[in-house]
Amino acid sequence: MIIAEHLKKTYIVKQGKGLFREKQEIQAVRDISLQIEKGKIVGLLGINGAGKTTTIKMLTTLLSPTEGSYFLDDIDGVKYPVEIKKRINMIAGGERMIYWRLTAYENLWYYGQIYNVSNNVLKERIDTLLKLVGLENKKDVPVETFSKGMKQRLQIARGLINDPQYLFLDEPTIGLDAVVSKELRSHIKHLAKEQNKGILITSHYMGEIEELCDYIYIMNDGVLIKKGTVKELTTETFNRKNYVLRLDKHSKEITECICDKLKVVDATVEVKDENDAIYINSRENISMELSRACMEAGLYIREMYEKEPHLEDAIIRLSREVHHEAVY
Amino acid sequence: MRPFIKALAAEMIKQHKNYFHSKMIYVSLFVWPFLNFITTYYSFKVFDIGKSKIAYITAENMVVYLLLGYMCMSFFRSLVQSAWNFSFERISGTLELIYLSPVNRAAVLLGNAVSSLFESVFVMLIFSLLVIVMKVEVLIIKILPCITVFFIVTAMAVAWGMFLNSLFLFSRDSDFLFTILEEPMEIFSGVKVPTALFPLWAKAISIIFPLTYAIEAVRRVVLTGSSLYEIREFAVIGIGITVVLFALISVIIKRVESHMRITGNITLF
Ligand SMILES: Nc1ncnc2c1ncn2[C@@H]1O[C@H](COP(=O)(O)OP(=O)(O)OP(=O)(O)O)[C@@H](O)[C@H]1O
Ligand SMILES: [Mg+2]
Repeated sequence: MIIAEHLKKTYIVKQGKGLFREKQEIQAVRDISLQIEKGKIVGLLGINGAGKTTTIKMLTTLLSPTEGSYFLDDIDGVKYPVEIKKRINMIAGGERMIYWRLTAYENLWYYGQIYNVSNNVLKERIDTLLKLVGLENKKDVPVETFSKGMKQRLQIARGLINDPQYLFLDEPTIGLDAVVSKELRSHIKHLAKEQNKGILITSHYMGEIEELCDYIYIMNDGVLIKKGTVKELTTETFNRKNYVLRLDKHSKEITECICDKLKVVDATVEVKDENDAIYINSRENISMELSRACMEAGLYIREMYEKEPHLEDAIIRLSREVHHEAVY
Repeated sequence: MRPFIKALAAEMIKQHKNYFHSKMIYVSLFVWPFLNFITTYYSFKVFDIGKSKIAYITAENMVVYLLLGYMCMSFFRSLVQSAWNFSFERISGTLELIYLSPVNRAAVLLGNAVSSLFESVFVMLIFSLLVIVMKVEVLIIKILPCITVFFIVTAMAVAWGMFLNSLFLFSRDSDFLFTILEEPMEIFSGVKVPTALFPLWAKAISIIFPLTYAIEAVRRVVLTGSSLYEIREFAVIGIGITVVLFALISVIIKRVESHMRITGNITLF
């Protein structure tokens, strides 16, 4: 199990040009504590610049934390980064990080060598991995002729070359088409469930996170603002109900009329009028009152449903709330 | 030890496949020095070399004298050139992956520097052939000192290449080292003009370049048939320089990594 406590990373950057450059501190990560169990997929979420990549780099020992402790299966990662490196790997999305002039096989061979994978194991592993990412018949083709998705799939094979116990995925499906990213997701699941690897993933695609993650950490501006399972997070953040209502007629007066009627039941109700639908946000379950209000006004309901809260909304909302608190 | 050798070999093979596609490498390793050599040769021809203060340069062996200078320089330069590779690796993000792995950093640096050794030896061979074809009669060679010098020069060149490579890892802005160390190397190491003729200040500069010693030693064993005893001073200095450079390299490797881990500059390019 990976246990990180109160990790903090402050970058010192020099500002301006010339000899007398001013030093400025950037607190990319201010306080992060998290755990990754073997066989589990953990999501790390947050808006751009929240500090996700910085956190991953500390966990992969590419960055040393300014403060905090980090243990991987009881190995002190701050003191013995090399021991950590042997047991982990990282996959970042994008086309970089491979040698374009080398073939798929040569790329994997090189990384296998620097991870000191023994030669007879390596040969077999490369074949298995290439098959896994569907590149077995591109084995001896230089990478520069690959498509974006193919390069990225090779990247994934590379990340598994040392058979790591823990895997860090930084936006692994960025820029991939739906089919490929779906395959990738099922593969990530397989790695965790069948091969018992501990996985940390960041992504801006919420569907992906909701599908994959056993547990989620949400961070904003370098600190954790929420953690829990997908269900816990969405219901906790959205203890309010959302309804969408479409009527046979549509006008500002009708919206106001419905709003007035609902206010009697729930004083906190919010009614918004958008396109040809009415959006209602309330604390209570008011579907009964809603239909009654429509009937009394002589309106026919064409469509009415309750909207499932989404993780993405939860994150944006949480980040906004935290931001407001910080401002005031 | 095995992981070290594996990494070293893998790095050499990779760099080779990845960078030696480009024919430009041969231009800078071979064509430029050769053109330089020709112009120098003809500009020297105008003067009466026979009366020079350096005992072993005669009008007869001048061409070989110059060839040897350019040969040594090409050899050094080819090892240094590999340092450029790291700037490409920084841009392509693969340098970060090397640092993500537990690989021995010195093995990678060494592999990278030595990856061009094949090319360097090839260049040396061509130069040597030229020497033999042109003036076999001026050569006075004793085999053992010659081989000794070859090995020490190679060790020095590899150490020098690795040293610059390691400095290059510090930041993307260390390109300036090349302009500081590369051009003056040609001028101050006695590639053309023997350092013995330099004014004092220039001599002072020349002693910081390992190439200076390498060229002098090679010329002595090839042109004057120096014995092992006569080149003992060079052997000591050469081995000394190599040891010091390797010590510096191991310090720099550690520093570079902790610096990277603090600033996160490995991804900046
Ligand atoms: N090497 C660096 N030097 C200085 N500041 C940095 C460095 N790397 C990141 N930062 C800063 O740290 C903060 C967090 O960046 P980070 O890359 O961790 O965010 P992120 O959550 O991964 O964002 P994204 O979703 O856009 O990938 C940002 O303000 C960024 O500008
Ligand atoms: Mg990021």
